Amino acid sequence: MRNLLFILVLALTALRAQGVAAAVVGEIVGQGGQKFPIAVSPLKIMSSVSSEVARLSTGIADAMVHDLELSGWFKVLDRSAYIEDAQKTGITLGTFDFKDWSTIGAEGLVKGGFSVQGEEITVELRLFDVYQNKERIGKRYSGRLRDYRRIAHKFVDEIIHQFTGIPGVFNTRIAYVSNSGGRFKEIFVSHLDGSEKFQVTNNHTINLSPSWSSDGRSILYSSFKDRNQALYLFELFSGKEVKFTPKGPARYLSGKLSPDGQTVVATLENAGNSNLYLLDRSGNVIRRLTDSPGIEVSPSWSPDGKQIVFVSDRSGSPQIYILEVASGKSRRLTYNGNYNTSPEWSPTGERIVYTGRVGSRFAIFSIPVEGGEPRKLTSESADSEDPTWSPDGRFIAFSSNRAGRYHLYVMQASGENQRRLTGSGGDDTKPSWSPRLD
Amino acid sequence: MKTQAQPAVIAMLCGLAALLAQACAPSTTAKPASSLPPAPAADSARSGSAGEGQRGATKESPTGRSSLDDLKSGKAPVTSAVSPLKDVFFDFDRYDLSAEARSALRVNADWLKQNPAARVEIEGHCDERGTNEYNLALGAKRAQAAREYLVTLGVAAERLSTTSFGEEIPVCRDANESCWKQNRRARFVIAPSRPAS
Repeated sequence: MRNLLFILVLALTALRAQGVAAAVVGEIVGQGGQKFPIAVSPLKIMSSVSSEVARLSTGIADAMVHDLELSGWFKVLDRSAYIEDAQKTGITLGTFDFKDWSTIGAEGLVKGGFSVQGEEITVELRLFDVYQNKERIGKRYSGRLRDYRRIAHKFVDEIIHQFTGIPGVFNTRIAYVSNSGGRFKEIFVSHLDGSEKFQVTNNHTINLSPSWSSDGRSILYSSFKDRNQALYLFELFSGKEVKFTPKGPARYLSGKLSPDGQTVVATLENAGNSNLYLLDRSGNVIRRLTDSPGIEVSPSWSPDGKQIVFVSDRSGSPQIYILEVASGKSRRLTYNGNYNTSPEWSPTGERIVYTGRVGSRFAIFSIPVEGGEPRKLTSESADSEDPTWSPDGRFIAFSSNRAGRYHLYVMQASGENQRRLTGSGGDDTKPSWSPRLD
Repeated sequence: MKTQAQPAVIAMLCGLAALLAQACAPSTTAKPASSLPPAPAADSARSGSAGEGQRGATKESPTGRSSLDDLKSGKAPVTSAVSPLKDVFFDFDRYDLSAEARSALRVNADWLKQNPAARVEIEGHCDERGTNEYNLALGAKRAQAAREYLVTLGVAAERLSTTSFGEEIPVCRDANESCWKQNRRARFVIAPSRPAS
């Protein structure tokens, strides 16, 4: 496929890969629903395995298919149309027939194999260009058998890197709040496909507002577990937790770690007034950031840590403002609508995503950081709230009740390709997308 | 199942809760960096114990359990109809007091003056619309508005504390105005009598 070769040439000649390759990709796999047709073959089984482990042949392929379709850039051809038997052909050039794939309309092809020794799996994966009859990526991964999905996510991130110059974001996690159908709200972490679900809290109260540290190793959240709402900084791998308690009868409503991990911006509520404060990592107040008699909540850092976007009702209704941390000056960002909240600053720095009320419903909008016309990304036929950016700034995860209860969804930053992530049987809300992980 | 509330000093309870919070951190099993530790065990050491800030009910009133206590024990956080302290209601996204709200607050102020040892925690609540964080702040505004009015009616400020549960502990969960308006409330929970600290 001539256009695919063009992208790869650009990447190899090390032009500004992000800008140029992305612009070229826009013609092929970008907006308007034009998707790149790719086939993902079941994996060849390359060692003697139990029938249960043999199911990873399609299990690993399914995990890759899920990610490719979630990205919105690929049309994955249906496995029922595949001609070759993956167990009877090879996985390297010359050991299979490209015609088996071009005849079904594939322009890209993922093939591979795996072998298992005890609890260890080795997976070999390759991306082929069907028209050029060439291999584009070849990788070998080893890990624990039960981590096989992570291998699939990593390879899809490589595929996306190949196509766009920027690695994909599927080897990441989402932290979120779920009531699992009951009355308590606990915090969970899982992969985007819902696998490897880990429960961060289990205290049978209300836990809210999870957010990640930049190194992906800690989660900050607020909780009523000690009766008065406080912030907790939980280290995922050690299990250690630090509690932030304000002095006196005040309460912390939420907080976010700065990009450099050294400070926390927190909403402190005292005597009915909620304002933003800057804290250190132990929860001690460094200084107060806002000083209004109203409600100032929901802060989110700019990627360079110099500004904070937040919500204030100082104009009479909740609107989005941006604060310059050093000077303390703030400016208003939103002028459309009478209820705008939950702002998040994109990792690439140019846009703010937020939730705004439209009629009686809530929809997700994005707006340039300098201000201007907001772009509505979701339909107000249902509620869509709590947006969070992927670490590459190309996707937004959010919570919506369009299918009944609140579930988590992902869409491209343009609003296209909205797909459901979870279906836990309860209400899943307040997603926070992790940074890229290991 | 909790039965009779134990009379206890709140300060000691809060201190105990803080100690337990540190002691009951999730388990720290050494694991390779790429794996996550098991989910923390349910805080059974705390759930039925003093750390939850159990409130002793004074003899005069059936109110004595906070909405958080109700949530934990599976009860609806509804104020009993025979409670001497009335709920106060608000309009959407507002925390100003209507004439009806002020009238209910006068009833509450009268009771508080007749029971000078009683202390009250005022809880602010919201309906489910809007974001959780904004609603936590709005609930705090509602609780504070009620508190300030009670103070103007002559109730000593030290007897009144405030908290907010935002939209988190509603009395009903339907997505319609007849439910929403029940949730936009300030609720008055009697705390055990003790000297002001």
